[in-house]
Amino acid sequence: MTKSFTLFSFATRNLKRKPLRTAVLVLSIALLVSALVFILSFVRRVDTVVRTASDRLGADVIIVPAGSRGAADDILLENTVKTFYMDKGLVEKVGRIKGVDSLTYQTYLASITGECCDVPETIVVAFNQDTDFIIKPWLDKAMTGRLKKGEAIVGSESAMNISLGLTEVDSHLFGNLFKMVGTLEKTGTGLDTAIFIDESNIEDILIKGKSGLKPGQISIIFARVKKGEDPSKVAGDIQDSSVEVNAVARKDIGRNILSTLKDLNRVFFVTVMLVSVLSVFLVWAVFSAIANERAWEIGIMRAIGAREGHVSGLFLVEVLFIGMTGSILGIVAGTTISVFLAKNFMLLKNVSAGLGLAERLVIALLSLTAGVGICVAGAMSPIRRLKKMEPLLAIRKE
Amino acid sequence: MPQIELKDISKIYTVGGQTIKAIDSVSLKIARGDFLSVVGHSGSGKTTLLSIIGGIIRPTSGNMLFEGGDISNLDDDALSGYRNEKVGFMFQFASLLPVLTSVENVMLPGLFSSADRSDDYRKAAEYLDIVGIGDKINSYPSQLSGGQQRRVAIARALLNDPDVILADEPTGDLDEETEADIMALFKRLNHEKKITFILITHNLHLAAQASRRLRMTRGALEEF
Repeated sequence: MTKSFTLFSFATRNLKRKPLRTAVLVLSIALLVSALVFILSFVRRVDTVVRTASDRLGADVIIVPAGSRGAADDILLENTVKTFYMDKGLVEKVGRIKGVDSLTYQTYLASITGECCDVPETIVVAFNQDTDFIIKPWLDKAMTGRLKKGEAIVGSESAMNISLGLTEVDSHLFGNLFKMVGTLEKTGTGLDTAIFIDESNIEDILIKGKSGLKPGQISIIFARVKKGEDPSKVAGDIQDSSVEVNAVARKDIGRNILSTLKDLNRVFFVTVMLVSVLSVFLVWAVFSAIANERAWEIGIMRAIGAREGHVSGLFLVEVLFIGMTGSILGIVAGTTISVFLAKNFMLLKNVSAGLGLAERLVIALLSLTAGVGICVAGAMSPIRRLKKMEPLLAIRKE
Repeated sequence: MPQIELKDISKIYTVGGQTIKAIDSVSLKIARGDFLSVVGHSGSGKTTLLSIIGGIIRPTSGNMLFEGGDISNLDDDALSGYRNEKVGFMFQFASLLPVLTSVENVMLPGLFSSADRSDDYRKAAEYLDIVGIGDKINSYPSQLSGGQQRRVAIARALLNDPDVILADEPTGDLDEETEADIMALFKRLNHEKKITFILITHNLHLAAQASRRLRMTRGALEEF
């Protein structure tokens, strides 16, 4: 037996009288908000990944074979398995450029699958432990001492990929047995999905012939510049010294991705705005129909003492209920999509997984505000028209 | 001082470019506890007159005084308060909200009142009992007959203990027995609670039971 009767319970009864219409409105808002959550998560994550990876690289200038800059970005930022090679003699040539302080180099090999105990396709990084300053900061925390021949260490995500999780497990790389002796700390860069071996293993890999690598080749040179030198200028000098290489300063790593991201941002913004305007019109159309249907009831309410504020309040409760329910559903759906669906796309890989709680909360709050705001904006005009009607005219549906 | 005083009230509607004078310079004084009936042809201005007294439309000219105060120029909040606290309205059609049960429909005026509403449920149930449908308090309008819906509307008009009840053909589509029951109830409330009744009807037999009888003809009012 209902003993309390409030504006809220009245509003929920009204919403239940046409459940399909209410559901369509809620779902429309949910779709809009889920798209918003997904887009915001995507943009935020890609931007963070690119900037973090660039900041953590440890080198001031990166030198790759001419025409391979995009591939280098892919490996360093997006965890893509790609290989490219240049002559190892270029290390010495680059070292002679004014302003270069120290150098190290790496060789990238793409692992292959198919045989028993082979790891899934992964980028294998052979590096020089004597000159390295890229891997070492992360490696030192993972193990003590040098990496020996026949030993490998895996990036934090590779460890999960090859179902290791533990060290001291043996796997095959290019037909050679490797003992996995450690897991690298999570770096937030392309290193997380790689497997690292000392360059002394390359000779055996070449003998087995299971990689596309030829003797005397390397993939990438990392340079640190002397104190006070401008990395961009040094990169320019390196570039000018040889047509065989592309040199790029650290701050320019991922510039293509960020530039693309800016364009995507614009596309997303226009899309979201159009969908928002469409949603406002949808809410307006539905609430205009509701206002016409219920003009008579509102007239009765006004005749027995409802103020304009009561009419607004009743409809606002309904609008807020639709807006908040739709937004909450949209936030859950958008977050789920960004976490699970994103893994199916190269560029979106792990897009949302790395967002912090605070970032997620801000995105959720922004999306909730947008969802509710769109509902309120759409319903304002019909509500205003209804509450301003003279009671007798409303009763007569004039 | 009369409870209600209409001073030279006129109401003009403009419909499709044409002006229609629904009320033409009507003046009337009504004392507390009066029982008035108003008869007249359709379109003669009866409902418009009742709506002006009830504050649900404003007159084009003239003044409508309630206990000496002019309600014609009140702002929306004050006029809504007048409708909520001083007047009980019964319309010429079933006027219940379909999503609310009988008891909730009766409690509806309380939702818009600033007074303490903790006793509303008990009062609503009691009024439904008084009008003879105490066993239907949780029924929805669609589950009630026309007569039962009228009774719920009467109970609703009584909830806020109004000083005046304005009834616009409240028994128009009811059978004779129900009509007699409702009239008996009106007379009892008029007698016991000193509630002023203004009853619009086409039924001259009902009109004859009122203490004052008025006729409207083309917007003009005369007592007979």
